[in-house]
Amino acid sequence: MPRPLEPQHSPAFFVRGPSPFARLIFFAAVSLTLMATDSRLHYLVEVRQGFSALMHPLQVLANAPSDLMHDANEYLTTHSTLLKQNSRLTEQALLQSAELQRYRSLEQENEHLRNLLGAARISPQNARLGEILHIGRDPFTHRVVINLGSRHEVIAGQAVIDADGVIGQVTRVYPFTSEVTLITDRELSVPIQVERNSLRAIAFGHGRDTMLDLPYLPANVDIRKGDRLVTSGIDGVYPMGLAVAEVVKVERNPNSPFAHIVCKPLAGIENHKQVLLLDMPKPEPVVNQTKNTAPAATPTGKKAPATKKPTAPQ
Amino acid sequence: MRPNLSTIYLTLLAALLCQLLPWSGVALIIRPDFVLLVLLYWLLRAPHLCNIGTAWFAGLVIDLATGGLFGQAALAYALTAFFALSYQRRLTLFNIWQQAAYVFALLIFNQGTLLILKMFAGGESPGWGYFYPCITGIMLWLAVIFTRLGIQGHTDQD
Repeated sequence: MPRPLEPQHSPAFFVRGPSPFARLIFFAAVSLTLMATDSRLHYLVEVRQGFSALMHPLQVLANAPSDLMHDANEYLTTHSTLLKQNSRLTEQALLQSAELQRYRSLEQENEHLRNLLGAARISPQNARLGEILHIGRDPFTHRVVINLGSRHEVIAGQAVIDADGVIGQVTRVYPFTSEVTLITDRELSVPIQVERNSLRAIAFGHGRDTMLDLPYLPANVDIRKGDRLVTSGIDGVYPMGLAVAEVVKVERNPNSPFAHIVCKPLAGIENHKQVLLLDMPKPEPVVNQTKNTAPAATPTGKKAPATKKPTAPQ
Repeated sequence: MRPNLSTIYLTLLAALLCQLLPWSGVALIIRPDFVLLVLLYWLLRAPHLCNIGTAWFAGLVIDLATGGLFGQAALAYALTAFFALSYQRRLTLFNIWQQAAYVFALLIFNQGTLLILKMFAGGESPGWGYFYPCITGIMLWLAVIFTRLGIQGHTDQD
């Protein structure tokens, strides 16, 4: 049997600098300090951004093969496919323009009614088109990286949606890219409302699979299989009425005071490449500006979640 | 390949590039830890050039690339490198399969350390699928060792 790992020209036998154990202690101490600093104090945001700008060319290089393949595929699309797609899109546009007309008149009517009521007007949120560059490197967190960053005036905390519903929220911004945490991540929670009876609740990511949980709801809660959940808009991040998920299972266990409700997100994260970034709503004057150094300057100040975890009722 | 510093850094860079490829789906779950494999190779072959510090810096770069907690992969790599080095002299006397077994143990150790660090930081237990990269990793290791054998064989000892 050959010995593949034999050292070539044997190095100086005794002169090896500090002992491995000493080195280990040193580097372990440094990394423990770094971990503590990163997780608790948020001093390292700028360092991370700088390094990620350095790594950007490497990233582009790594993405090049798949991008090339994608472009080639696009170039080689057949005539008939394009024609089919074209007719389908024209039809869709026609249908949607009819719906849009209805929406406009409804919006006017709504504004009128709101004026009558003296209620605050909902300011429209602008949206920008971004593209998903790649899925997160860690298969056990639900994150994607998109091609807009702080150079494009993206800020942490912005909501990200696609044509079918909410995808997630921007949690980390780099110069050229930013990281979007999906609603299925266990760190993210979305304030929702059941469309049928406008019951408010908070949906939490499951973390392990692509499902959402509605915890802390009593066993006799009025939620049925097939109910659509939409954003309630009370967090100031997601505008009201965006589709989030559909209830797929309601389990009522007589031994537990809570119902076990599982929902399936409506947005097609795996299928789309394009996403929409919604601009943050205008901050209220009372919002504390010093919190902006935190990675995600959501109004609640904490890192990712749009709202803090409520404590379970006893 | 004669080990010198530029070879080591170039292979590490290539491994990092492999790691940064846009993996998705099943491929992402079973993706071997390329950087760690290259690191272990050099740690066991040329410990005078590639040491715990190299491993630590490689881990830091991985942390930046994955967006994980700063320093967690660095700590795991440094610990793994320490155990790799502590048996390095004995390991050169082993045959390919014994070495592969030791490397497999190191891969599992590294993944386990990362898991513990992530759980401290508030992660959830991801299940046995978390250790798939060790299996693909050791397969890649054996593939590399055997291809090198096919190309160079014993003439490696110049």
